[in-house]
Amino acid sequence: MATGFFTDTTVCIGCKACEVACKQWNQLPDDGFSFTGMSYDNTGQLGASTWRHVAFIERPVPLAGQTTGLGDLSWLMMSDVCKHCVKAGCLDACPTGSIVRTEFDSVFVQPDICNGCGYCVSACPFGVIDRRADDGRAWKCTLCYDRQREGMTPACAQACPTESIMFGELDDLKERARARVEQLHDMGMGEAYLYGADANEQPGTQGLNAFFLLVDEPEAYNLPPEPSAPDNHVGESWRSLAVGALTLLAAATVAVLSSKGSG
Amino acid sequence: MKDDPGAVASGEGTTYYGLPVIKEPVWTWEVPAYFYVGGAAGAAATIGAVLQVLDGVDSERLVRRCRDIAAIGTLAGSGLLVSDLGRPERFLNMLRVFKPRSPLNAGSWILATAGGLSAGSSLLGRSHGFGRRLGALAGLGAGAIGLPLSGYTAVLLAGTAVPVWKGSRRSLPLLFVASATGAACSLLEMGDFDERELTAVRRLGTVAQLSELALAKAVEKESASVAGAGRPYEEGLSGTLWKASTACTVASLAVDTITGKSRSGRVTAALVGTVGSIALRYSVWLAGRASARDPRATFDSQKKPDE
Repeated sequence: MATGFFTDTTVCIGCKACEVACKQWNQLPDDGFSFTGMSYDNTGQLGASTWRHVAFIERPVPLAGQTTGLGDLSWLMMSDVCKHCVKAGCLDACPTGSIVRTEFDSVFVQPDICNGCGYCVSACPFGVIDRRADDGRAWKCTLCYDRQREGMTPACAQACPTESIMFGELDDLKERARARVEQLHDMGMGEAYLYGADANEQPGTQGLNAFFLLVDEPEAYNLPPEPSAPDNHVGESWRSLAVGALTLLAAATVAVLSSKGSG
Repeated sequence: MKDDPGAVASGEGTTYYGLPVIKEPVWTWEVPAYFYVGGAAGAAATIGAVLQVLDGVDSERLVRRCRDIAAIGTLAGSGLLVSDLGRPERFLNMLRVFKPRSPLNAGSWILATAGGLSAGSSLLGRSHGFGRRLGALAGLGAGAIGLPLSGYTAVLLAGTAVPVWKGSRRSLPLLFVASATGAACSLLEMGDFDERELTAVRRLGTVAQLSELALAKAVEKESASVAGAGRPYEEGLSGTLWKASTACTVASLAVDTITGKSRSGRVTAALVGTVGSIALRYSVWLAGRASARDPRATFDSQKKPDE
């Protein structure tokens, strides 16, 4: 059974209950109590010990239904999470087989296998997974694998008071998401669209099992507009290496043969 | 932020408060050091095998030196890689699966195989009779696996979401192979071999260094095809090292051409070339770290169609 998250950012109120619930359930260490000074976002980004992150976007653009009454300022909030890509950069990159796809189609790091090589960190096109300095291993959202095994809803979705975070079977979620976009369009919020809902929309990842409804360009939410798993382009590099290696073989042969007459 | 990432977006366009999109590579100083020793070891193994096949006993000392460099390089390289791990005691997990789709898993198998064969050829090559013949066989095997070892680390870098690495995915492997060949030749030139052996090594080294200069330009050009992605080769510490590497390679070529007939001239050229080769690896590593902090370059590098 493929399950995932549909995060509807239009109803997010920025309460950060998802961040707290995630930290608490997964017993994640704090990341310091810092003050960014840029917005209500003092978390900053997803990381090894932050598996839900609420972004606060202040945009000097009037977006239907998102303005604050203060001029043309739109105030957007989005709870970000690991996307559990259908084609996941971290999973392809993992050299130990620590990162696997679960029976729920989510992407899971097995902590008893991970040796902290850090390759997944650079392979994630979203900057989700990271290595924890004091622990040495890579960590990210498990889509509450442990809770799901017991038939429970992931902690963040359970805690979300506005159902901005919806959890369920992917087919069902996608249906609800498309209906929601139509509803918003009917309400005059023409900017609403789905991010990463399927492979057509996002070929580089083959779609996301945790997808989003957004009302502004992806970059505003710190999401890449066209994310692509590195495995999509690495074939070119292997071919280049083959050319280089054969050239080395040929050059060494010529150098040795050409020196036969000398000395 | 708890630690100011110092992100500076290149070019125009929306970002999220200028914060990075992707995570900075967590690899520490050991990794670029490995790029150098591993690459040089791979090229040395290949050069040794070519000499072994074409020359037989003629360049026995040179072949032996090639095998020694390959054996020491793969051993030292493995040590560097293990110490970079977050959990070094689990280094063997790298070989618990065979997963060539992961460049790092493919590389681990390449390094492990090359290490075993190089050590075998180096040690058994010193024995007599059957052991020696076995050593020769191992030398050939090491030469074959040395080919990918000389430059797979560039594939490893290109197989990431880091704009500057991903951006140079076609030229970087070629640059790494050329630079590894130059590095191996520099190490060999430091030895005292007969005229003919040195001629072969110096010729290969010159070709490798000239290629390295041309390919460095190609890497600059290819990574700059995404706006802002090539910037780390122009500015910052990575840019300085990049230029220093080119300068060292040019100087090494010049010194070798002018004074290469004398041992001291040769060794000087080889030392300068070695510094250039090491600087190149550190520059590429630092360029990746700077590049990962640039949100616009990250967005735009992913936008580029993957054909």
